[in-house]
Amino acid sequence: MSTELLSAKGARALTMEIDHRPVSFPEGVSVLRAAELGGIYIPSLCSHKELSAFGGCRLCTVEIEGMRGYPLACSTLAQEGMKVLTDTVALREMRQEILQLILSEHPSSCLVCEERDDCRRSQYTIRKAGVSTGCRNCPNDGQCELQEVVERVGVTAVSYPVIYRGLEAEHDDPFFDRDYNICILCGRCVRMCAEVRGTSVLAFNHRGPRTLIGPAFGRNHVEAGCEFCGACVSVCPTGTLADKSSKWDGKPDGCVTSTCPFCSLGCQVEMFTKDGRLSRVAGSLDSEINDGQLCVRGRFCMPETSHHHDRAKKPMLRKGKYFREVDWDEALTEVATRLKGVAADEVLMAVSGDLTNEGLFAAQQFARECLGTENVDSTARAYLPGGADFWTRLFALPISMKAVAQADSVVVAGLDSRFYFSVAGVQVRRAVRRGASLVAVDSCESNLACAAHHWLRPHAGTEAKVLAAVVRGLVEEGASADPELIRDSGVKGVALAEAVRALAPGTDLAIVIGPRIFECEGANDLLTVLTSLASREGVTIVPLFHGANTRGALELCVLSGPPSERSGASTGRVSLEGVRSGLAKPKVIYLVGESPFFERPDCEFVIAQDLYLPPFEVDAFLPAASFLETEGTLTNIEGRVQRMERIEDLPDGVVHGRVRPDWSIFARLAEKLGYSGMDYADAGAVRAEIHRRFPGFPSAPDRAPRRLAPPSGLAGEKPRHGPDGAKGFVLVGEHAGFRHRGIDLTAVVEGLSDLKLEEGLRMNPHDMEELGIAAGGLVEVSVDGTTVSLAARPDPECPGGAAFFFHVEASGGLSHRHSLRPLYGLNARPLRVQLSVAGSASTRRGGGRPQRGRKNAVSSEDEGNHVSRG
Amino acid sequence: MNAASLERRRRQAESRWKGLQASPDPVIYIGMGACGLAAGAGDVLAAIEGFLGTRGLKARVVKVGCIGPCYLEPLVDVQMPGRPRICYSNVTPEQVEQMLASFLERGEVFKRHVVGHFGEGDFDGVPSFYDHPMLKAQVRIVLKNCGIIDPEDIDHYLARGGYLALERCLSMPWNEVLDIVMRSGLRGRGGAGFPTWKKWQVCRETASDERYLICNADEGDPGAFMNRSLIEGDPHAVLEGMLIAASTIGATKGYVYIRAEYPLAIARLKSALAAMRKLGLLGDRILGSDFCFDITIKEGAGAFVCGEETALIASIEGKRGMPRTRPPFPAVAGLRGKPTIINNVETLATLPNIVARGPEWYSQFGTETSKGTKTFSLVGKVRRTGLIEVPFGMTLRQVIYQIGGGLLKEFKAVQTGGPSGGCLGEEFLDTPLDYENLAKAGSIMGSGGLIVIDRNTCIVDTAKYFLNFTQAESCGKCVPCRVGTRHLVNILDGICAGRGEVEDIDRLERLGRAIKGSSLCGLGQTAPNPVLSSLKYFRGEFLSHIVEKRCQAAVCRDLVVYRIIKEKCTGCQRCVQVCPTGAIVGPRSEPHNLDESKCIKCRSCYEICRFDAIAGDAIVIESRGQREY
Repeated sequence: MSTELLSAKGARALTMEIDHRPVSFPEGVSVLRAAELGGIYIPSLCSHKELSAFGGCRLCTVEIEGMRGYPLACSTLAQEGMKVLTDTVALREMRQEILQLILSEHPSSCLVCEERDDCRRSQYTIRKAGVSTGCRNCPNDGQCELQEVVERVGVTAVSYPVIYRGLEAEHDDPFFDRDYNICILCGRCVRMCAEVRGTSVLAFNHRGPRTLIGPAFGRNHVEAGCEFCGACVSVCPTGTLADKSSKWDGKPDGCVTSTCPFCSLGCQVEMFTKDGRLSRVAGSLDSEINDGQLCVRGRFCMPETSHHHDRAKKPMLRKGKYFREVDWDEALTEVATRLKGVAADEVLMAVSGDLTNEGLFAAQQFARECLGTENVDSTARAYLPGGADFWTRLFALPISMKAVAQADSVVVAGLDSRFYFSVAGVQVRRAVRRGASLVAVDSCESNLACAAHHWLRPHAGTEAKVLAAVVRGLVEEGASADPELIRDSGVKGVALAEAVRALAPGTDLAIVIGPRIFECEGANDLLTVLTSLASREGVTIVPLFHGANTRGALELCVLSGPPSERSGASTGRVSLEGVRSGLAKPKVIYLVGESPFFERPDCEFVIAQDLYLPPFEVDAFLPAASFLETEGTLTNIEGRVQRMERIEDLPDGVVHGRVRPDWSIFARLAEKLGYSGMDYADAGAVRAEIHRRFPGFPSAPDRAPRRLAPPSGLAGEKPRHGPDGAKGFVLVGEHAGFRHRGIDLTAVVEGLSDLKLEEGLRMNPHDMEELGIAAGGLVEVSVDGTTVSLAARPDPECPGGAAFFFHVEASGGLSHRHSLRPLYGLNARPLRVQLSVAGSASTRRGGGRPQRGRKNAVSSEDEGNHVSRG
Repeated sequence: MNAASLERRRRQAESRWKGLQASPDPVIYIGMGACGLAAGAGDVLAAIEGFLGTRGLKARVVKVGCIGPCYLEPLVDVQMPGRPRICYSNVTPEQVEQMLASFLERGEVFKRHVVGHFGEGDFDGVPSFYDHPMLKAQVRIVLKNCGIIDPEDIDHYLARGGYLALERCLSMPWNEVLDIVMRSGLRGRGGAGFPTWKKWQVCRETASDERYLICNADEGDPGAFMNRSLIEGDPHAVLEGMLIAASTIGATKGYVYIRAEYPLAIARLKSALAAMRKLGLLGDRILGSDFCFDITIKEGAGAFVCGEETALIASIEGKRGMPRTRPPFPAVAGLRGKPTIINNVETLATLPNIVARGPEWYSQFGTETSKGTKTFSLVGKVRRTGLIEVPFGMTLRQVIYQIGGGLLKEFKAVQTGGPSGGCLGEEFLDTPLDYENLAKAGSIMGSGGLIVIDRNTCIVDTAKYFLNFTQAESCGKCVPCRVGTRHLVNILDGICAGRGEVEDIDRLERLGRAIKGSSLCGLGQTAPNPVLSSLKYFRGEFLSHIVEKRCQAAVCRDLVVYRIIKEKCTGCQRCVQVCPTGAIVGPRSEPHNLDESKCIKCRSCYEICRFDAIAGDAIVIESRGQREY
């Protein structure tokens, strides 16, 4: 376990002497860390603050009074009164020798080349013919830790011949390249993957001089189950692992801390820029949320999403049969004219929950005040099942990502953190590494369920009830859970009681709930018990939901009117649901960062305001600024209003287009429409207005978590039903998180499609075999009289008797998914459906007998669906 | 089973054992250890059984382990009623008929290939087996049962005092057993020689709900086979030792980590464990005491580094066999983070003897600091190779010349401690074999490999061989071991190929010291020993490779040319027959000619020539110095 983690709680301050200087340090840290805290440099290449001591590079040797030989600073525990010398002649000689050995295995001409000082200068010579001067064989040149160590240790020549491994650089997997010729085998990536991420994709292969890093058994990273979180790339001290997209950008010339725009966790990111453009992204070491960790989207998808050549960056208007680029003024005039020409209730405005707070506020203000319509809707509504009041109550609970990592007892329900909410998974694992007990409630064999000490495995669709029973057991300490409550879930009361017992001793309790749980029957009950548990000290509850700023949309009344007007206000309103089902026919549809349709809806004028053109015909397109091009704030799950920095400030023009922040587009439209209440000069002015209207909302970016005031009464809460009947399969809809505004990121970011996470039906291979469906074969899903056929993928992680349907709440880039429209129309709540092989009429029953022949799972007959580990 | 019922069983076993000694039928013992099998004991056994079958003779055949003189294998003992057991060496299937016919049909003692008998004094002109020069100077404590008993028959072990020591330990408090081990002066036989009791005490005194005991049988040194022979010949001694150790340190679970390349030893262990289980010597409440213990066999996949204790633990945990930094030492936090003791096979097999006969008896053997006996595998260019057990303090000269019978050619060096040890020259022949003296000489005791080198072996080549082994077996974790050993090999390669420079000697020494001083585990810390020690004692040979481009031992191929000394050649044609390229021609009885252009320096002619006619002695090649590489 990392010494850092050990020292996090209740550490005493001690002092020791390093190089004759007193240094104070917390109990439990290594000598290396103590020296670092005291500002004393000890060279090291394999140690990392978050990883266990490795002792592979042998550079951090020191002399300690009373200890034999040269102990390693990284693996020696710092103790009170120790006397350490870090820079003696003997140590220097040994380090130089070892460094020479490292360099003999690492093509290092750039480090010791005689010409290295003049090399840079002569590269800029202007010649007629293309001449390449200077070796450019490492993408990490100038950012390499090895270079720094060589500099500081002072090696100027290598007296050993270079051993070149002569391997081919690996380019096959998405997102990052690997050139193991320059690997120094420090093992940081291997430990990061195993210890922090819990994935263990990377390993040391072979032995002796043939030792190499990579997935075991010659698999590629996708096959080995890589999450592509990029944590390995971030800790690589050399250029062995490098982002594909920014590999040859060279040393970044700027770095800005900002907020990831892709999900509700609001991870802090370091944006590295080169020549005014985003080059690559790394997790910020901010300890409040992500502590250096990110997921595949935050780590790798940002540059491509904003810089993609398909980005539409100029305003466009349909003129007859042509769709043409026009200037802003013309576009806005046309849009304003059209909006003016229809009655207020004939306009529908759909606003994505991925917009900034400023954009969201301006959008609803524009609709409500300038256009005078209540017809504001959002696909983000689907992300908050149960409605605004239900989630306001959840947001009134104590939510803290940091507290998850420090909890003693953790419950995680319905969450597979490999690709969605990865950082939440990392925090859970951090807690487990520190000794917390973990209980998982999950019908799927998720990555966290596999890491849990107790895994309660209910049938699909009954997870909320089981989780509520666990929470109730914790609330009513000692009281045995009522087995009646979880009778139809397949979980035995004994297993439940055992899980509760394992959790009970913890003083700090964290409950992390995946978005799927809130769709299930019993969610209202779950909220009640969560609320009573939350009154206890040291409890944190993390109810996860999709969308980057869905909480902001809720707070700023985009999803529904102000609380005072909520009751009854929704009746008679034009909604997206209404348009999709054909019941409502607004004349003008204004899509802000949304593309909720597969084809152009039946109306007179469609306005799209987004980063990319929607996949259907629109009449006006207003190019919005991306997360890199505008400054703004996002509200994360904890209620922090976090700043998203403007990274790129590129001049308007043919090359960089003419994009505008959302709020600014609304402000200018309002101006065109003659409304004066939206005369905002900058985003700050919008924030000031937000603060005036919603006093609980900060007027400037404020990273303090906020708890909302729970609404009184239970009005507005929709009861959720379990799947009806006992026959058929349970269809569980799962929102896929790879959405940003109106697009599916998979369609834009090339690497994401390689991960084979494309939507579709996933089923237990055993069920598929029983139904006679081949892998990738078509399945007919019959629900409510409609039948859709789609490909099914065997997924051993899925429970028996259920089919999981993953879908993105945006049709951007999804024209090939047209046929799935009926399934998109369904809510995500679990349903009973009939499944059959496409083309045959026979449908077979599936439910009732889950987990047949599954590895890890114990047969439901003898032990219930409970798997205990540890 | 409790102590009383074990006692009953022991009495039965004793009467069975006596019955075997005084058997009315002839008894034939055959050494079926891996060395015997390799020498053809399987065929001999088939021939014996065939003979008995066709003649319709009644005799008992007992398969025993290796008794030590491996160069004499296959060894077969024949015991006639009323006569002592007589041992025969180098038995071939063809001889079986003659030998058995003489014994069983004519009642005469067969006189050819006889080694000795297991009785008192001379018998019918046959000397005692233990008076054989190879055995006379040995003190067999650990090996006392090897080659004598049937390793698959627990009764044989019981009859010879087996599990008595365990009984005694279980009736004592743990600290008294620890005291016995302390007073015996027993030190770890795996190589480092750490006092066994100290390690145990640390483990026992570390608070934990569980402790583990691991028997390290991952014997990987080239030329070492002490542990294999011991397990094959007397598995119960090791397992009883494990029970004693486990009851003392309070372990509940034991592992035998053994190389998968030792299938016979694994089979013997498995059958021994099954027999123990039957007798209640494993499992809950062993012999009616509170002691609960079980043993699992874990087969290693063949990585040398897994003999290092932290790598071994990682391997048992299912991880890559990779050492970690210490502290914490395994005795404090080992397998699955629990206090763990890892003892060598020999250390464990010594324990029952110490407990049974008392620490004072044991500590009478050996020197002041190194008590007791040590097994060695004596191999290389000695006349008598095999497994020996001698008290500490015996000199190398006694071991090599008295036990080993000396060399055929001139002695050059002895490599102790395998790839981690060093090459010691003639001046060290009178060095007593113990931990301190070997360390002082720049080598180590190691697990007990003794490789004797004569003048036909090149020291540089030997150092290169061991370095090649360690660099290939390095786990690759730490830089000095992974990269440093590779550079050592590169430099040695260059020297052997005639590309050496005088500065190379300096480079080897500097690099060797750096690797020794900065490697993570024992493998790297000792890997340069063969080079450093041979540089120290055989610097001249290195220099002659580098400066004169000459290999005295005529081993380094790039430095020698083969030519026939006409005066000595008798024209016997033997070299003509073995030459694979037809480089040697010549009529019978006339000096042959060797065509250098066809010669691939395979050394076959050199080895076969009886008349020293082919001079492998390096011929100086003047042009080599200017060769560009």
